[in-house]
Amino acid sequence: MFLSLKDLHQELPAVITTSVGDLSDLIASLGFPIDDVAEGEHGPVLEVDITANRGDVMSHRGLARDLAAKLGKELSTVDLDPLEEGEPLVQVRLEADACALYSTAVLTLGALQSTPEDVKKFLASLGSGSKDLAAVDASNELLHRYGHPTHAFDADKLRGGIVIRYGRAGEKIVTLDGVERSLTDKDLVIADDSGPIALAGLMGGENTKVGVDTRRVLLESAWFEPRVVRAMARRHGLHTDASHRFGRGADPSMARIARDLLAARLKAWAGASLDGAWTEGQEPAVAKPISLTKELLHRIAGEPLSIEDAAAILRRLGCLVEANHLSLRAVPPSWRHDLSLSEDLAEEVLRLRGYDLIPSTLPPVKADPEPLAKDYQKRHSTARRLASLGFFQTVTLGFISPEADAEFAGTPAAGRILGNPLGYEYSVLRGSLLPSLKHAAEHNLRQGAREVRLFEIAPTFHTTSDGPEEHSTLSLVWAGETGGLDPITPKGPVLPAALQGVLAALGVPGAKAEVQTLGGGLLAAEVAMADIPDPSERVIPNFRGFSRFPSVERDLSLVVPFELSFGRLAEAIHGALAGTPLHTLTCVDIYRGKGLPEGHQAWLLRLIFQGDRTLLGDEVDGWVDLALDAARSQKAELRG
Amino acid sequence: MTLPDSNALSLLPDDMAEACERFPAALSACASLDELNRLKGVYTGRDGSLSARMMESLKSSPKEQKRDLGAAINTLKKTWEEGLKARLTELESEKKRLDSVKNAWDATLPPPMPPAGALHPLNRLMDRLVDVFRPLGYHVEEGPEVETEEHNFDGLNIPEDHPARGTADTFYLEQHSKLLLRTHTSPVQVRVLKRLAPELEAKGGIRFLAPGRVYRKDEIDPTHSPMFHQVEGMLVGKGIGMHHLKGTLAYAMKALFGPNADVRFRPSYFPFVEPGCEMDVHCPLCGGSGCRVCKGSGWVEILGAGLIHPNVLRIAGIDPEIWSGFAFGMGVERTAMMVSQTPDLRLFFENDQRFLKAMGGLD
Repeated sequence: MFLSLKDLHQELPAVITTSVGDLSDLIASLGFPIDDVAEGEHGPVLEVDITANRGDVMSHRGLARDLAAKLGKELSTVDLDPLEEGEPLVQVRLEADACALYSTAVLTLGALQSTPEDVKKFLASLGSGSKDLAAVDASNELLHRYGHPTHAFDADKLRGGIVIRYGRAGEKIVTLDGVERSLTDKDLVIADDSGPIALAGLMGGENTKVGVDTRRVLLESAWFEPRVVRAMARRHGLHTDASHRFGRGADPSMARIARDLLAARLKAWAGASLDGAWTEGQEPAVAKPISLTKELLHRIAGEPLSIEDAAAILRRLGCLVEANHLSLRAVPPSWRHDLSLSEDLAEEVLRLRGYDLIPSTLPPVKADPEPLAKDYQKRHSTARRLASLGFFQTVTLGFISPEADAEFAGTPAAGRILGNPLGYEYSVLRGSLLPSLKHAAEHNLRQGAREVRLFEIAPTFHTTSDGPEEHSTLSLVWAGETGGLDPITPKGPVLPAALQGVLAALGVPGAKAEVQTLGGGLLAAEVAMADIPDPSERVIPNFRGFSRFPSVERDLSLVVPFELSFGRLAEAIHGALAGTPLHTLTCVDIYRGKGLPEGHQAWLLRLIFQGDRTLLGDEVDGWVDLALDAARSQKAELRG
Repeated sequence: MTLPDSNALSLLPDDMAEACERFPAALSACASLDELNRLKGVYTGRDGSLSARMMESLKSSPKEQKRDLGAAINTLKKTWEEGLKARLTELESEKKRLDSVKNAWDATLPPPMPPAGALHPLNRLMDRLVDVFRPLGYHVEEGPEVETEEHNFDGLNIPEDHPARGTADTFYLEQHSKLLLRTHTSPVQVRVLKRLAPELEAKGGIRFLAPGRVYRKDEIDPTHSPMFHQVEGMLVGKGIGMHHLKGTLAYAMKALFGPNADVRFRPSYFPFVEPGCEMDVHCPLCGGSGCRVCKGSGWVEILGAGLIHPNVLRIAGIDPEIWSGFAFGMGVERTAMMVSQTPDLRLFFENDQRFLKAMGGLD
């Protein structure tokens, strides 16, 4: 909300000498931070951030009232010339509960009209220029100065009586912004015999618009149910100064006053004369009293504040307060719809005292602290492990395009589709992290990265009949050229085996550690976090004995057909050597060059034996022979 | 080198005398053991060497000269042997020195570095917040990203017609109109409160942090993203007031920004707390003297907080007459941008390794 300092001073003369900076701090301390201060022709204008619960401070008078309560100062008096009410000149019927009160007046305008210069400057400083129509400018000025929205219809364009009712299916209205709007039975409208002439609390209609030719005006100053106005504003995407104020709750006691002030301005600015004034309905019921005990105030404030002081603060805010030394009962003023609980009153007391006076201490809590959850710890340690293995953690959006999803996700996208996405390319909750990682990897390669190592740990979404199920997932992408950055480490392409090694280091079981090639030299893997072993329950596992006797190492150079996998060969050897102290069987070299029979390669196997005694050369030779027999059974031969 | 009487040497044939004179230069010219061995052969070898030939010539020299000449030849030979030995020692130690230089690593060359990746800066900040709150007994609670209206809105006292519930602000699922992408980490509060309500008396209270990803329907621009991160904190106990919230957050900010971090609280409004507040910290960049980041005010807004609204406790099945507590929530991107002065939010989601390397690490 824009706030002209000059006009704030007019409402609260006590702050005339307060500097802009101090005043900004003061307003912020009440809960309304200042976003900006601009210096204009009309003096400084503050942009004030008003919280959604405080419609009552959305005007110069309203904010001045909160400041006055804070400072214990008086607001300036407003000259009021209440109109004498009489019989309705036009029939007004309130058919909907959402309009409790409708105050109106009909005036005939004089031949000449002009908006005073200072009012034009005031409106201009708030970014709302003069329309050079007294009724429109006066209504705008009143809204910004006193907070109550009003409206003027061209009385000669009205057809018959006025009714405040809900819209009917098929009805339409062209609002003042020139937009034709279809109405529903949730739209509160002002209608005459011809149909809707205004959207209540939002905007008037084009058909009864006040113009330069308007001779007679019918003023509207009403109170509309905030909930209904908010819903209409949202439904029509029409957020106006009026809807902001009615939507947050206008002050019903202001309806007549605003009408009178508007009429007085028309008399002064346009030589208008009153034809008649009347009001239908009545103010909604007075708010219920709220109690606040000394005990609750003490608990919330953190110190034993006196109920008398609290009562005094609430009275300054306009509450009617009865108090004894243990508790108080307060009836909020008509403009404070936000107050309904004891806690609300406590907040008001603290707010006006200043939050900076609240003491500061750590809370006493009896509950035992809890350890961090296993899943959280696992994600955390996996991320740290990968970062120390040279991978960069990424953060990517949870939704992707249907095509990207279909390429990698295991399940159909139905059930994971957003009803209102930002766009088609963000419309599916991803079933795999790989499309996002691939995109990030390609970005890095395009930017000239020699080597790309990325990972992400995030949920992937999986369709079920009850909605998407979330699985914590790890994905990795590795691409480019590795090594070659120092005089020692040779450079070379990234190999799938290296990524497999990373997965193995994380404890991913072999069967789940599938390395995919995504094209463009990108290697990738995706595993469920559930497939990575949980951190151990125990800091140190059970003691397992180990042999202190020397191990014996034997190498076996074999020529093997390409069809034979190491896994199968190892299985055969382990089978043959079951019961022997074979400790490790591994392959330490692969040769695929010249000198081998067609369709064969050479493997250098290493067998390490270790027992609980010193092993003899002869017995080890015997086991190696068994291993060789087992290898031969798999069509491997000793390399000559 | 002690040289013999030149008169005696003048008795030698010319070529031998010249060779004798050349010896010192030849010796110092030897740069390797091979060369030295060759020189040794030429001067002192058993057969055909200079010394052997000189001994041969002694036989045929006049008798009266024999004594002097013999002594001179012996001296010469001894001198050569000493010279060769000294040079050998020199060359050997030079070879040793070279060998050791050859095997030594020039410490000013780039060493092979172990691979260095990094955690994402947003994760690092969230991890740090967890670290900050662990000593106060907070653990981590998490919840799903696809949530129900019940947890995301109803349980948080957010009115039926609150704009945040609209499809303009919140992503809903096409086939499940009651399911949405959580708009804040606060539904974790609702879940935890409901889960622990029956055992609250036995437990004595609740304390946790809830870091996580949240979604709002904002277009991607330098300060907005449809997905971002929050860290939520909550404490429930008996007799909890604003002073406890203040004490907790003041401690946390000092732990996060250093012992001089000053905080200030302003009233604010969120439907799930009452009283509500926002907290500013002294601008981490200028320390409070005023700069571009804090728009000259010396303060930057860092989080929203308040005492848990009695309705939130009641909806979860907790009696607000007995239990009270506070909650706070911080925008991770916003804070990360502020402390790092990252100019554009999109950098956090672009995942350029240069950015991740510069902003990341392991802590």
